[in-house]
This record gives sequence, structure tokens and C-alpha cells, in this order.
Amino acid sequence: MKVKTLKEVFPIIFITVVVFASVGLVTWTDSITTDKIEEQKEQQIMSMLKEMFPSMSEYTFEDDIYTIYSDGTGVGYAFLAVGKGYGGDIDILVGLEDETTIKGITIISQSETPGLGSRIAESSFASKFARLNIGDVALKEDGGQIDAITGATISSGAVVDAVRTTAMEKVKSLKERK
Amino acid sequence: MGKFWKEFAKGIIISNPLFVLALGFCPALAVSTSVDNAIGMSVGVLFVLLGSNLIVSAIRKAVPNIMRIPVFIVIIATFVTVVNLVFHAYVPSLYESLGIYLPLIVVNCIILGRAEAFASKNPVVSSIADALGVSIGFFLALLIISFLRESLGTGSVSLFGVNLFTLPVLGENPMTLFILPPGAFLIMALLLALFRRMGVMKSE
Repeated sequence: MKVKTLKEVFPIIFITVVVFASVGLVTWTDSITTDKIEEQKEQQIMSMLKEMFPSMSEYTFEDDIYTIYSDGTGVGYAFLAVGKGYGGDIDILVGLEDETTIKGITIISQSETPGLGSRIAESSFASKFARLNIGDVALKEDGGQIDAITGATISSGAVVDAVRTTAMEKVKSLKERK
Repeated sequence: MGKFWKEFAKGIIISNPLFVLALGFCPALAVSTSVDNAIGMSVGVLFVLLGSNLIVSAIRKAVPNIMRIPVFIVIIATFVTVVNLVFHAYVPSLYESLGIYLPLIVVNCIILGRAEAFASKNPVVSSIADALGVSIGFFLALLIISFLRESLGTGSVSLFGVNLFTLPVLGENPMTLFILPPGAFLIMALLLALFRRMGVMKSE
């Protein structure tokens, strides 16, 4: 094999160095922001649970399900659902009043088109889920109870489907627990 | 210092990235739905452009010509990732509303355009001036578009949760069209026409 001159391999060495410097900077930023991001998520979930269940005094977390207590008596359950939206994953916090009825939902994070799909995060959309039977959580065009947001059928559908399927799964595992 | 101000000022009006160079339309039109988003996006672009212009200019003599573009892209992507993480950690609400368009600054042609056309040929100080000027030009353009879109499309303008004003009739019946993508094009076209008519911006 012919030995390459330094001049020929220099571009490869150069980009390698640049990539390593880049990885270093990104890793460093990541290390100082991870805790903050985690902490923020935790706090966010706390305040969302509190908003959904105003009487909450404590909660337990088991098998990915939050059980909400008010002075020792169970008042509901909450869990996370992930919808496949138009712009990526949609993280949703779903609250259950009991094993058949939705208490409410809150969109934790989403990356839908700003101004269109991102309106799933507005309270006017989330409030449509309150007190619905789990089986009725579907878009009206699919025989359910929920109106899709104009211009955002995919995003609306992603939320609705994620809430219904995850709720059914969780109710099943709640029943098994007893 | 005269040169610094010259490079700085040109980005704001005579070579405004949006209205004159017509660069970076995609993110600009997509996030100009509210004044908050416009400010957040501009801060992101300012940081990335400043960082990439600075580094690209500093290493411009060492970069092998054939590796130019990959090197620039790696540098830009690094700063975009940093901005993304910092926004996520410290301004989560803005991170939410900018969504996918924050990481997409990486493909914003303003950034690569300035790296290739300016920073790779000019000294560090001029490149910083250029980055500041272009970012402010981008910010002002975005501010005008988003102000018009938010006030027409929602009937009121708010700044970080504080309501600045509510328009009398539009407050109850906002023209939602302006928040939707067609509204962005309408506003953009009207502004471009207006600026041409006034003769403020001549591209040649």
C-alpha cells in the first residue's frame, strides 16, 4: 500500500479533531443541564398531578402508575402515555377517576407544528377528555366523542389513540394487581 | 472600529436576511405565530450564528478546502445542540412552543450562508459584527411579522404571559387565517411589497 503524504490525510485528521471538540462541548453542556431537565420534568409532573387532583395529599408510584391519595383514601390514578404525532412523540399525563372514567389529560411535551398541531396542548382540547368513558375516547369520525382540532387531525388523533390504548392497558394491570 | 459598525449595520437593513436576502424563510414563517416565539427563535439564532461565525473565522486558515462544508456543519450542529439543551433546561415553555424548529436552526441557510460567504473569508472581529448585525436584522424582521400575525390572528398581543393589548373587534373574532401558514405568506408578501414600494431595500 502506498504511504499517503501528510498533506493528503490532513483533512481527515482535521475533521476528526473538530468532531472530538464538538462531542466534548456537547457532552459538557449535557452534563450540566441533565439534572436541571430531570428536576423540571419531575416538578412539572407534580404540579400537573396537583392540578388534576386538587385534593391530592400524597401519591405512590408503582409499575408506571401513580396512585393518588387524599388523606389516606385513593382518589384516582395517573400515568404517562406517548402518542406518535406529526412532529415526534407527544407525552401525555392521563388521570383516571376510577377504572372506567377519565379524570383529565395534560400534554407534557410535544413538537407538533406551532400554531396548528401544537394547539393540542391548549386547555380547550384537553378539557374534552374530562369525565369520558375510556371507550368513548376516539375522534368523532371514528365513532368517539372528541372533535379533532381543525387542521390538526393527525395530532388530535395521536393524542386520542394514545390515551385510549394506554388507559386500557393500565386498567388491565390495575385489575391484575387486586 | 468604523469597519465593525459597517459590517454590523449592513445586516440590519441593506442585507437583511429575510427581507432582502430571502434566507431562512422556513423557520421564520413557521415560528412567527407569536411575539414570544419570535424572540426565542432570534435568541437561538443569535447564539448559534455568533458561535459559528466566531469559530469558523478563527480556524479559517487551517480548514482544508475540501473539508470546508462538513467542518462548518459540525460546528453549527454543536452550537444548535447546546442551545437546544440550554433552552430545555432553563426556558422549558419556550422550548415547548418552538418545538422542532429549534433543532432545525442547524439547517437554517442564514447560518451556513454567513459561515461560507463571510466568516470563512474575514477576521474574527468583522465576523462577530456580521453575526450580530444579521441576527438583529433577523430579529427585527421576525418581530414585525409575528407582531402582525399575532395581533390579526388572535386579536391580542402578549409578551411572556403578560397581555400587552387586545384589539376591539378582532379580540372576539380573530382572523385565525393569519396564525395558519397562508397568513405567514400573505404578511410576508405584503411587507416585501411595501418595502420595495418605499424603496428602503433594493437588492442590487
